Amino acid sequence: MECRELTELAMGRIVGDASPAERDALAEHVGKCARCAADLVALEATWEDLGADPGARVTPEFRAATLELLEDEMVRGRVRGFRASPRASFPLWQAAAALVVAASAGFLAARGGLGTREPAAAAARAPASPAAAAASWPDLGGAPRLSNVAYRSDEPGKVGIEFDATTRHSIVGTPDDPRVSSLIAYLLSNNAETAGEKSRAIELVSENFGPGAAPASPEIVSALSTTLKRDRNPGVRKKAAEALASFRSTREIRTALLDSLANDPNPGVRLVAVDALAAAAKESPDPRTIRSLREKAFDPQENGFVRARAASALKAIDL
Amino acid sequence: MSGGLSDDRTLLERIRRGDADGAEELFERYAASLLRFADRMLSDRETAEEVTQEVFVKVMTRAHQYDGRAAVSSWLFAICANACRDRRRRDRRAIVVPLEAVPDLPSKGDGIEARMDARGKRLAVRQALALLSEEQREALILARYHGLPYSEIASVLGISVGAVKTRIFRAVETLKARFSEGEASWNAVN
Repeated sequence: MECRELTELAMGRIVGDASPAERDALAEHVGKCARCAADLVALEATWEDLGADPGARVTPEFRAATLELLEDEMVRGRVRGFRASPRASFPLWQAAAALVVAASAGFLAARGGLGTREPAAAAARAPASPAAAAASWPDLGGAPRLSNVAYRSDEPGKVGIEFDATTRHSIVGTPDDPRVSSLIAYLLSNNAETAGEKSRAIELVSENFGPGAAPASPEIVSALSTTLKRDRNPGVRKKAAEALASFRSTREIRTALLDSLANDPNPGVRLVAVDALAAAAKESPDPRTIRSLREKAFDPQENGFVRARAASALKAIDL
Repeated sequence: MSGGLSDDRTLLERIRRGDADGAEELFERYAASLLRFADRMLSDRETAEEVTQEVFVKVMTRAHQYDGRAAVSSWLFAICANACRDRRRRDRRAIVVPLEAVPDLPSKGDGIEARMDARGKRLAVRQALALLSEEQREALILARYHGLPYSEIASVLGISVGAVKTRIFRAVETLKARFSEGEASWNAVN
């Protein structure tokens, strides 16, 4: 070997990549060349010296925050997987012209519920089953458990909801129908138990209310605000924040987002709150919002992403 | 890096199916290595944590993209290396080596002098690593601190084995010159 090959061969030997022939050649060369022998010692010492840096360790805080983030992502992945696939055919849904309620006779009609459709509208559609002779809304006053909830969007501009109470209900209505809003708010705040159920209810809200669609009712805003404040699952809270962020800003929405920015333990949720508050503040700078964004931008304990986003939001707001 | 090849692939398959425990197991298996890699690449503990989190989130969303040609560990390091490059490009800031970014070793029984010396040496290593080009640093860190063979480093970085060798020996030459400025280089930081 030649002197200029020393580093390559020495490194090969150090990392265990040198062949026996290369090792022999290296050993023979340094036995004869004092300069290369000294260089080899220096190279090995350099490699050894690098070990003086033990590297970062995973702290319990980092572990907890990351696992929470992964759980959040996993929930979102599951929610994506849960989305109902369009069904091939369903005459009731295709034929419904306005609001359709198909339920078994007797039970819901007797309870009164949210009211019934006019006979003409009811007559214009086919019943879901021979038993579905009467059209009525479920009575939510007794806080019944609605199970097997499925959301449908076969008809443009309409919301479809199916569920079991004591019988199977299939409801289609426009989002601005107060009864539809009430039912969705009920499903979100009272009925959904799992993260998947809650996420699907929030997705339904996001798809049907907000910009270019029906304004969200106070009941829905309240249900989302409560979910954002109290739900244990960060993925669900994030979805609730995103839904609220998509609505025209109101005092209640701003309060919910400010509370989330100040108190939510998940940085992903706080990021959504920063973005939403910043967008609202661009339209109408609210002193409390500005103050909260400033606090976040300069809070050394805050997550780097959140801090940076709060800082750039402040820059973008014309103060 | 622990975890056998087939174990890792099974783990990734579980993540693909939405198994949250699988995600936690992957974290336990690789978080420390990926965090150390990112920390050495970026010389900023907080940014390294953020990048490591990004890597795991990407793995959650891209588990289906793993094609099985490389080891899962190589795939993870490749994602991490890309994330570090993206972060540096985005931040466009020089590497800074704040002293607090350099972790302390457990130092049972060491006197303050010995601890100061070790701390100084760790800082000197970080400063020396910061002298290297990004490409050299990536290759060197994977070889020195993660024990990856040249062929796996080549797979992680998407370059030839020859290019890996070149990067590593140039890096070591630079470091040797830096360190062989004598004891002064170690002592200068104390």
